Amino acid sequence: MKSISLYVDNGTYLTKLHPYTKLLYVMTAIAVSVIIGNIWGFVIFIGLSLLALTSGKVLKKTFPLITFSFTIILVIFIIHGMFYHENENVLFQIWKLTFYKEGVLYATKIGLNVLNMLLAFAVFVLTTKPDILVEEMEKSGFSPKFGYVVSSVFQIIPEMTGTMNTIMDAQKSRGMETEGNLMTRAKAFLPLISPVVMSSLINTRERAIALEVRGFGVKRKKTYLREFKKQKQDWILMVVFLMAILASAVWKVIVCLL
Amino acid sequence: MSFIEVENLKYKYPHAENLALDDLSFFIERGEFIGIIGENGAGKSTLSQAFMGLVPHFYKGAYGGKIVVDGIEVKKSSVAELCQKVGLVFQNPFNQLSGAKDTVYHEIAFGLQNMGVPKEEMEKRIEDVLKLLDIEAYKDRNPFDLSGGQMQRVAIASVLVMRPEVMILDEPTSQLDPQGTEEVFKAVDTLTELGITIIMIEQKIEKMAAYCDRMLLMKEGKLIDFDTPVKILNRSDLADYGVKPLFVTNICKKYGVKKQDGLYPITLEEVLELKETYSDNLLFTDKEQLAVECHAKAVKTEAIEHKAYETIFNVTDLSFQYVENTPVLKNINLTLDNRPTAIIGQNGAGKTTLVKLLKGLLKPVNGTVFLKDTNIAEKTVATLAGQVGYVFQNPDDQIFKYSVLQEVMFGPLNIGMTPKEAEEKAMEALALVGLSDVKDRNPYDLELNERKMIAIASVVAMNPEVIILDEPTIAQDDKGREIIRTVIDKMHEEGKLVIAILHDMDFVEECFERIIVMAKGEILADGTAQEVFVEDDVLQKARVMRPYKMELYYQLWK
Repeated sequence: MKSISLYVDNGTYLTKLHPYTKLLYVMTAIAVSVIIGNIWGFVIFIGLSLLALTSGKVLKKTFPLITFSFTIILVIFIIHGMFYHENENVLFQIWKLTFYKEGVLYATKIGLNVLNMLLAFAVFVLTTKPDILVEEMEKSGFSPKFGYVVSSVFQIIPEMTGTMNTIMDAQKSRGMETEGNLMTRAKAFLPLISPVVMSSLINTRERAIALEVRGFGVKRKKTYLREFKKQKQDWILMVVFLMAILASAVWKVIVCLL
Repeated sequence: MSFIEVENLKYKYPHAENLALDDLSFFIERGEFIGIIGENGAGKSTLSQAFMGLVPHFYKGAYGGKIVVDGIEVKKSSVAELCQKVGLVFQNPFNQLSGAKDTVYHEIAFGLQNMGVPKEEMEKRIEDVLKLLDIEAYKDRNPFDLSGGQMQRVAIASVLVMRPEVMILDEPTSQLDPQGTEEVFKAVDTLTELGITIIMIEQKIEKMAAYCDRMLLMKEGKLIDFDTPVKILNRSDLADYGVKPLFVTNICKKYGVKKQDGLYPITLEEVLELKETYSDNLLFTDKEQLAVECHAKAVKTEAIEHKAYETIFNVTDLSFQYVENTPVLKNINLTLDNRPTAIIGQNGAGKTTLVKLLKGLLKPVNGTVFLKDTNIAEKTVATLAGQVGYVFQNPDDQIFKYSVLQEVMFGPLNIGMTPKEAEEKAMEALALVGLSDVKDRNPYDLELNERKMIAIASVVAMNPEVIILDEPTIAQDDKGREIIRTVIDKMHEEGKLVIAILHDMDFVEECFERIIVMAKGEILADGTAQEVFVEDDVLQKARVMRPYKMELYYQLWK
C-alpha cells in the first residue's frame, strides 16, 4: 500500500533519535534564527539541517520540498524586490523592472526563513516514524483518542483513495465516461463525492464497533510494545539545543541594552 | 446456573416497526460450539451483537428481558467491560482493522494495549495467536495489503489475543476460499478445547453440521428450535426457515439410510460409518446410480452436446502485475464462449485481476484481450459498458443514487437508452432479483444482501452481452442463492456469457457448465465440474474443495 507518511526507514542514527529530540531541534532552528534576526542565523541553521539530512541519507527526499518552496520564494523576491515600502537604492534593472536593495535584502530574509523552517521540519518528518511519535506523545499524557486520530490518518487516507478508485471503476463500468479530456474528468468528479462519503460513513460505523470490541473504551492505562527511551545522545542534544535558545536570547538582550 | 443465560430477550431498533429479537430464551454452557442459522433478516446478527452489549448500548432502541454472561448482566454493564469477556468477529475483515497500525503484529497488539496488558505478556500472547491462525509469515506486513482471507484471520487473531471467554463470529468465512474456511473452522474448534465458548453465525450449513454442538434456528427474530445439529437438520420444514436441507441428509432419506437414533446422517463421516450396517443398501452398492445422484459423471443432456458456441473473448499471452517483478497473472491463454463460466481458486490467485482485464478496467502489461473483434485496451471502459457488465464484490462501491429505481436506471441511461426504455429494463431487472416492491426506497436503507441484488440488477438492466459477477453469493442465504441462480440461467438462455468468481463449490457445480481453476496467476484446470473436480492435487494447489455432493461419491468409490 502506498503510504502517505514521508518517513524513510533507513536505520540511520537520525531515525534512532527520540522524536522529541528532533522536535526540539525544529524549535531551536526556528527560535534561534528568529531571535538572532540576521541572515547569518538562518544560514547557520540551513547549513546544520542540510548536514543532518545528508548524514541521515535523506537529502534527496528534500529536493521536491525545496523546489516547491522556491516558487514561493521567487514570488516574494519579485514583489518585495520591486515594491517593498522602504525601497530606495536601485540594485539592478531587467528590461523595465527595477529591483531595489532594501526589498531584495528583505525578501532574502523571508526566503531563508522559509527554507530554514522547511529543512528543519524535513529533518524531523523524514526520520520519524509517525507511530513512534504518536506512542511517545500518548506516553507523555496525550489522550489515546488524539493518538488514534493522528495515526489512523496515515492508514485510512490511502485506503480512501483506494475506495475512490474502485468507485470510479464502478462508474466507468456502468457507462459513465470518466476518461478523456479535462472537462470529462471534471464532470466525473462531482458524482464521485456522495458514494465515497456514504461508503466511508458505513465503514466508519463498523470501525467504531470494531474499536469498541477491541477495548478502545476501556479506562485503564495503556501499555506499549515498543520502548523508545531517550538515550544519552538525546539528553546531550536536548541540553545543547536549550542552551542555544537561551544563549541567543541572552545575546539579544545584551545587544539591545548596549 | 448456565454460562450464558438469555431470558425473554426482546429488542427493536430505533425507527423500526418490527421486533428484531422477539422473546428469546435459552441457555448456553461453557465450552459449547453454538451455530446460529436462519435466513437473512432472521435476527442472527442482532442477537450476536446483543451478547456483546452493542445491542442496546451502541444501537440504542427498545430492549426488554436480559442476557447474563458468566454472571454479568449485559444491559447493566458497558461494552468496554464486556469486551474483556466476549469477543466479536464480523463479516468484513477490512472494517475490523483498527486502521491505526501498520503491521499485522501491532494490529494484533491493539486490543491488548487498550487493556493494559504488560509488554512481555503481550509478546507471548501475540506469538501464540500468530501460530494458532498460521499468520506468522505476514506479521510484518501492512494488514491492509493482505487478501480478504488473510485479513480475516488477522481479525480473528486480534480478538482471540484478548482471551475472551466467549467468541462470537458473524459469518467469518464468507470471504474465504474453501480451504481458508476449513482452517478457520478448525482453529475455532480448537478454541472450544481451551474452554472458550463459540457462537457462530454461518450460511455454510455443511460445515456447521460437522462442527457445532448445538444449533439455534431463527426466523423473524424468534427462536424456532435449539437442539443438536442432527435434530435441527432432520426437520422436514427446514426450507421454510430459509435453510437448504443438506444433500447427504436428503440422499440418505431417499435410500432409507438411518442412524441408530432413527435420524438421517448430516455429515459425510456419519454416512461412511453406516456403510457396514447398510452393506446391501443401494446407496453403497450401486455405483452408477450414485454417480448420477452426485453429479460425479457428466449427465449427457442435449444442451451440452448440441449448442454451437461462439467465441466471445479471446485472451492471448496475457500477463499482468501491479508492482514490478511480482506477476499477478502469468501468460494466460484463454477463449471464452457463452457457456456460463465460473472462476475458482484461492484468495489472491488473480481471479479478480483477470476479470478486470476482461472488462478493461486494467490494461495488460503483456498480451491482448479481444472482445469479438475489438481490442479491449484500445477502448475506454465506458464505451464498452453496454457490452460487458461487471458487478463488483462490495455493493457499497457501486451505489450512486438515492432510490433503488434511479440506481438501476443509472447504467441504462448512460449507455444511451431513453428514460422510458431504461425504466422498463430497470423494472424487469428488479423483478428478476425480487426487489420490485422496494423500488422507491433508498438503497442505503436496505440490507447488505439486498444491496448486492441491486448491484446485480443495475448491471442486468444494461442488457450487456457479457455479465461478470464477483463473488455474488457472499451474504446471501439460500433464497438469495436461488435468485442468483435464476439470473444466471436467464442470462444464459438469452445467449449471454456469464462469468462468476465464486468460493461456493456446490453452487459452482450446480450452475456452471465450465469451470476455470486458478492458482498463483495461472490456470490449473479448465472444464466441466466432472472434469476439474477429479484431480486432488489441482484442488489442493488452488485451495478449493470438491462440492459436498461429489465428495460423497468420491469418499464411497475412491
